[in-house]
Amino acid sequence: MLTFIIRRLIILIPTAIVVSFLIYLALDLTPGDAVSHMISPERTADPAKLAELRQKLGLDAPLVVRYWIWITGVLQGDFGYTMTGGAPISSVLASRLPATLELSGAALVLSTIIGSILGTLSALKRGSATDNILTVVGMIGVSIPEFFFGLVAIMVFALQLQWLPVGGRLLPSYSSYWDHIPNLVMPALVLSIMMTAGVMRYARSSMLDAMGREFIKTARSKGLPEWRVNLLHGFRVALTPVIVLVGFRLPMLIGGSMIVEQVFQWPGLGNLFVTSVSNKDLPVVMTVALLSVMVVLVVSLLIDVLTAVIDPRVRLGT
Amino acid sequence: MAILDIFNRRSRLDRQFDELRRREEAGELHSVSRSRVVRKFLNNRLAVLGLVVFSIILLASIFAPLLTPWDPSKVNLRAMMQEPSLDHWFGTDKTGRDVFARVLYGGRISILVGLGSALVSAAIGVLIGCYTGYVGGWLDAIALRVSEAIMAFPEIILVLMLVTIIGQSLFNLMAIFILGGWCGIYRLTRAQMLSLREEEYVLSLRSFGLNRALICYKHMLPNALGPVMVNITLSTAAFILQEAGLSFLGLGVPFSTPTWGNILNAAQNLSVLQDNWWMWLPVGLFISLFVLSVNFIGDGLRDASDPMQQG
Repeated sequence: MLTFIIRRLIILIPTAIVVSFLIYLALDLTPGDAVSHMISPERTADPAKLAELRQKLGLDAPLVVRYWIWITGVLQGDFGYTMTGGAPISSVLASRLPATLELSGAALVLSTIIGSILGTLSALKRGSATDNILTVVGMIGVSIPEFFFGLVAIMVFALQLQWLPVGGRLLPSYSSYWDHIPNLVMPALVLSIMMTAGVMRYARSSMLDAMGREFIKTARSKGLPEWRVNLLHGFRVALTPVIVLVGFRLPMLIGGSMIVEQVFQWPGLGNLFVTSVSNKDLPVVMTVALLSVMVVLVVSLLIDVLTAVIDPRVRLGT
Repeated sequence: MAILDIFNRRSRLDRQFDELRRREEAGELHSVSRSRVVRKFLNNRLAVLGLVVFSIILLASIFAPLLTPWDPSKVNLRAMMQEPSLDHWFGTDKTGRDVFARVLYGGRISILVGLGSALVSAAIGVLIGCYTGYVGGWLDAIALRVSEAIMAFPEIILVLMLVTIIGQSLFNLMAIFILGGWCGIYRLTRAQMLSLREEEYVLSLRSFGLNRALICYKHMLPNALGPVMVNITLSTAAFILQEAGLSFLGLGVPFSTPTWGNILNAAQNLSVLQDNWWMWLPVGLFISLFVLSVNFIGDGLRDASDPMQQG
């Protein structure tokens, strides 16, 4: 098991290095550097002075050296400062993280539960009207843009019916943690729709696969009631690949939350990222990009380990 | 007698079978000229429906000047924010531009971005994946590493990061989509090739002394095309959704060009959202319908091209 984890880590590290280097290279290739941001172009400074300043800041060092300085800083949690406002990026990120975790966590849980239940249902009733309708509904779910869902939801539930707030997260009038749950309902539901459809489709095929196996026949021939066969024998086996899929859907969740956070003015990382892109605040853009890649890589490692724990064939194979 | 009803009830397949038998007895049957894939695809109702909707929207966008007399970017301050009428089918927007015309002309750009990026990235992915999957070697190793690095990014983060760096334009957006999109099809083609290259017929071709490019592009590639076609439809749908999302955020195609996402951007304003539904609801439905039709086509292709399901 340990050798398996180590082998996975060895595969992961080069990718992490390549990605971080690519991100740094992209940052480096954009016109203008720190000095051109510090000194306005109107004040035509002496080029020799500018060169001296660049040297003092270490900007004249070779690319690899500067990359090394940057990446060692990043590894110690020093991401630099935002270009708009000059706050430390790490503290900006820390203030946005809880909102994003809350939203994506809620969406993840919702879509996994609803998706696997509906998928199992449609597998058990394969070929029936329920199955066909669920398949088409799932298809519609992945075809409607998330932000359009969000807009319709805002119009219906916030503006017309006035059941839920339009957007935002924490208001000054909120005293306890639970006060902002109504604000969470719409974004979390909208964010989970696309993923629910994916999970449902996967759960269906995984369940069909499990129900076709020999041990289901054995369970039936033992005279177990059908619900026990379905739930305790079929569903349990079918669930493992579904959990794996949920992990792989994480990038989709990160991507989806960008737009959903914007629609509902949810003050999370996605919102920060979109604002930074429109302000061309490169350091923040690069940091969020880097961190999201690292999260994806670490999660994929965790999934690999998890599947290896569950299924010994994986770790004993190549 | 209710039980016997089940046996007497005739499904669509039964009726088709009866029809076949009748034609066989009448001597009307001849060998099938259409391929099995086309036949199976045309038997799938949702896929055919998808194809019809797809074609209608595509043709309506291409022939937009014939369908609407309005110019999509002509500002008319005397006709601002009008409700839908016989003159303006989808009403007018804040500067008096005809929304229906904008939806049709916007469709041109949105479909170009979606379909164009999907086709080009598929071509690149297939070209590289086919060769490296069969031959292997250093080219394979490099392509694999690069695609791994690109695929480690959540798609929209990669796209937005590149938008920040190279700036917003229609061409840049397509270039970015292609850069991020070729990996998926490359990996797919490569995997297909890896399993195909163990086949007997490849071995025999090699023993005839055919060159590698000929073997992999002419003889192996056609056998791998099914999943690739399915993947093209899926990435078309994904790119159209992404373009819409980015333009909605104001980070996609510049506002001077109407696209579906740009039109929807008006709905970021709460008063528009509440009082001027015609400015955003129809175009949202257009995007959804179009993407849905592409997905139905993809699903039909998947079922039709899957050799595990004979029919």
